[in-house]
Amino acid sequence: MSNFKANLLHYQNLTRNIRDFFYARNVIEVVTPSLLIAPTTDVYIDSIEVSVNYALSKSSKFYLHSSPELEMKRLLSRGSGDIFQICQVFRDNEHGRINSNEFTMLEFYRVGFNMHQLIEETKDLLIFLGNDNPVKQMSYSQAFFEFADVDILNSDYEDLKSILKFHGLNTDYDWIEDMQMVLFVHLIEPKIKDFPVCFIYDFPKQQAALAQIDGLVAHRFEMYIKGTEIANGYQEIQTSKEYRDRFETELGKRKALSKPISFLDEDFLDDLGNGLPPCSGVAIGIDRLFTSLGL
Amino acid sequence: MNYSTSQFKNGLKLMLDGNPCSIVNNEIVKPGKGQAFNRVKFKDLITGKTLEKTFKSGESLEAADVMELEMQYLYSDGEKWHFMDPESFDQFDLGKESMGTALNYLVEQDNCIVTLWNNNPISVSPPNHVTLEVIDTDPGLKGDTAGTGGKPATLNTGVVVQVPLFVAIGDRVKVDTRTNEYTGRA
Repeated sequence: MSNFKANLLHYQNLTRNIRDFFYARNVIEVVTPSLLIAPTTDVYIDSIEVSVNYALSKSSKFYLHSSPELEMKRLLSRGSGDIFQICQVFRDNEHGRINSNEFTMLEFYRVGFNMHQLIEETKDLLIFLGNDNPVKQMSYSQAFFEFADVDILNSDYEDLKSILKFHGLNTDYDWIEDMQMVLFVHLIEPKIKDFPVCFIYDFPKQQAALAQIDGLVAHRFEMYIKGTEIANGYQEIQTSKEYRDRFETELGKRKALSKPISFLDEDFLDDLGNGLPPCSGVAIGIDRLFTSLGL
Repeated sequence: MNYSTSQFKNGLKLMLDGNPCSIVNNEIVKPGKGQAFNRVKFKDLITGKTLEKTFKSGESLEAADVMELEMQYLYSDGEKWHFMDPESFDQFDLGKESMGTALNYLVEQDNCIVTLWNNNPISVSPPNHVTLEVIDTDPGLKGDTAGTGGKPATLNTGVVVQVPLFVAIGDRVKVDTRTNEYTGRA
């Protein structure tokens, strides 16, 4: 059989195995719309805008989903229980060896799970898919202590500035979280390249995104395979009010950076109603995962 | 002239902390929730050291005026090593500290690559393969023509290279300058 065809079959096996894994755990497979009425509010993710014709000459703007997150959360708020989805997602301004405007995402939500339970399940999934390498697990703060001798959670804007300067890096960053990120990319990622699988959890609260905050940290995690980011998960915030606050913070940052202004998806906030059940969810980049499995 | 991170590629010469550097590796890193960065490995063309820096995408660096020219090695007066550009007949000289391993391989009239920064020579690279003469080595064992084992031999530049037992004083041998290994008799 040709390599090309063998690869197609390997990919089919991967998605089949993912489905089998979740079906066996009674997690329901869903499909949610990819044409949305509002772009993402994330400061560093740009939605792709598309025009749709209707009523003959009238046209209307839509946005391709950059992640199925909000649409899946709508389902959770309506009592779907555990759900998963495999879909294409779209992001503007992404290119490079391992970035692209379109990629495949697996996203799943587990009701009643906290972050650590979801990390355990993500490990189970990895083993089920054939990656049984040893797993390293460390908090964001441990990683900085161990690999950079930096107390990241207790470093303020000025502290981080002098750390950047010490490493000969540009100090021209607007927010503390951006400095944490450049230091992570510069000092930590090259070190965790040595681990076949590495989970980093409890991010600084400034990088909470949509994860619950607890003191100085947010219950957010990422999975790295040989130093490449493969997954990003949260112990989810639940109420409409919390979502509104987080979205508004991001919108404020987009404005400060003069990026195309996004706007709040009021329908989503309305639909959340009484909010999400306690749950955790994670998004996994399937293309990168497939490559890393090296089948 | 400046280069933005989107123009970065291997071999591009840029100024970093006041020294001319060459890009060895350029990796775009875009955290899912963060801005895009370029994690870049450089070689400092003066010290020869490699260093890593991370830039936010969109940053730019000043270009380094660096040229690599093929020149002829003329002679050394013990303090300076003198070279000539065979096209312009311009002569350049370098101190011992800038010669690096080229010292071990260059004999007069040989061609080599001289790196100029702002028209001043900063380093010399010998050809990958040079032919040198053995000026001292222990006598080889009779009948050992298979080249099993080895022994040290001093060549006419002063460098010591492991050679097969059959190599004798006066032989001309080929050496790979990147590994300092004997590759055969000339």
